[in-house]
Amino acid sequence: MKTLPTGQYIPGDSFLHQLEARAKISCLFLLIAAVLGASSFWGYALVLATISTLLLLSGLPIRGAVAPVRRISWFLLIILLMNALFFEGEAVLASWGIFHLSRGGIEQGFRVVGNLVLILILGNLLTMTTLPTQVTTALESLIKPLKLIGVPTEEVAIIISVAIQFIPTLLEETELIKMTQIARGARFESKKLSERAASFLPLVVPIFISSFRRAEELSLAMEARGYRKARNRTKPKKAPLAPADYTALIVCALICLIQLLWRG
Amino acid sequence: MVLVEGKNISFSYDFDDSSFALQGVDIAIEQGEFVVILGCNGSGKSTLVKHFNALLRLQHGELRVAQIDVKNEEEIWLLRRLCGMVFQNPDNQFVSSVVEEDIAFGLENYETPRREIPERVQSALALVEMGGYEKRAPNTLSGGQKQRVALAGVLALEPEIIIFDEATAMLDPGGRQEVAKIMRKLHRAGKTIIAITHYVEEAVAADKVILMAQGRVLASGSPKAILTDLDLMKEAGMLLPLPVRLYYDLRQAGVHLNHCPLTDEELVEEICQLRSKS
Ligand SMILES: Nc1ncnc2c1ncn2[C@@H]1O[C@H](COP(=O)(O)OP(=O)(O)OP(=O)(O)O)[C@@H](O)[C@H]1O
Ligand SMILES: [Mg+2]
Repeated sequence: MKTLPTGQYIPGDSFLHQLEARAKISCLFLLIAAVLGASSFWGYALVLATISTLLLLSGLPIRGAVAPVRRISWFLLIILLMNALFFEGEAVLASWGIFHLSRGGIEQGFRVVGNLVLILILGNLLTMTTLPTQVTTALESLIKPLKLIGVPTEEVAIIISVAIQFIPTLLEETELIKMTQIARGARFESKKLSERAASFLPLVVPIFISSFRRAEELSLAMEARGYRKARNRTKPKKAPLAPADYTALIVCALICLIQLLWRG
Repeated sequence: MVLVEGKNISFSYDFDDSSFALQGVDIAIEQGEFVVILGCNGSGKSTLVKHFNALLRLQHGELRVAQIDVKNEEEIWLLRRLCGMVFQNPDNQFVSSVVEEDIAFGLENYETPRREIPERVQSALALVEMGGYEKRAPNTLSGGQKQRVALAGVLALEPEIIIFDEATAMLDPGGRQEVAKIMRKLHRAGKTIIAITHYVEEAVAADKVILMAQGRVLASGSPKAILTDLDLMKEAGMLLPLPVRLYYDLRQAGVHLNHCPLTDEELVEEICQLRSKS
């Protein structure tokens, strides 16, 4: 019954698990750029090959790694249809009123959905092979430069950590509240959109209230353990980047560069 | 040595002092004592103990904890290190989704050198008998295990006083036992334990019971003196422990036990004596 968030960390010691989180996050951004930059057959072939290699290197079950794609398949289908029907392309195949089905539209739809799927898998590869705290620490050090323009980067990092920590609790609670509402006659599964929408409002309010209560309690607990805003804390461990990290960064940068060259 | 010493503490959550959550509370807790604060919902237990580590600011009266005046802003930080607190809801105390990182949170706040942290995390986990769980996510643990991890986060700072604010209230009987066992262990190791509860059964083994009602301390003394006092407990709106209730019921039925028993064992003892007498 419980809906666990997908993309949760799975312990392991694969090549991807061992890369430093900062390197992995930077690589993620480079590869996202490569996906968005792909425009030709060879471009997509390259990103597909890259992602397949990464899946192999991660040692993760393929099913787990693509699970989030399955979860939002409805959403993807809608995006595909919207693009196919509304895109003002040439070579119109058919049209009904404001809808035009065109070759260009279909291509565009597949491209957008394809990009989304690839990016989702990439992001999932990061979160499944990296401890949330490593992601946080890495983000903290990557956003360090923002400190110069007055962003409290340490606090942002703590906020991210706490938020990640709270997700499973909130999901469980949502499920619980949903159950009690169903028991009282709410119709989440109703076919009628209006009924369905109306049934979500009583869900949102209690969740908001309980989140605020939880946040208040948590902030007391943090204070009781000696947390003070804008004070020095022990600095996170700085693991130096290993040769493997540099290699990964260079390879990803090259892939990104090749895409841009093929494009231009 | 008196570790917590409060005189005439009053506190109101309203800005205009229209109602008081604490009214003229006097309190004294000795070093190494196991104190249970007993009282029904809204009697002011949490409000009182939140003064001990200055989570709430003292409004009226005086309070010194481990020789520190809680009004002294400079020393609040030190105070919180000496006086740790475990809260009721195990889910609202974690800052990290990895056990060991959560336990390190307090240590990081006190700028413990990075190289000392793993060792202190380990020994805190060992104290609560959770060795081997360092990489787990708190939300995958049982309630009792979560509370023990939360406690380890407090113990890592090596406090003198540990406050449990209904830390077992949301646990099943098994989890409650787990936490109670660690509490006794810490007490034996010389820590001062302050436990809040509204289960009378949890007060039976205390060194001292402080009974609260409507923002006041009704009475404080040994469990025997407090928990067997019918009128006092009634005034506080508390149920009597089962052996005590039986003692009074038997008396009404004309059966007089020699002493009022507090535990099941004592009850059995008394009844046996009664039989051998007759
Ligand atoms: N944050 C708050 N704001 C306003 N009033 C509060 C707040 N917290 C507690 N109170 C009020 O102060 C009084 C004492 O509450 P307190 O939480 O100290 O009681 P308690 O003995 O800990 O009860 P419980 O067993 O329910 O935890 C209650 O009347 C309560 O309504
Ligand atoms: Mg309370």
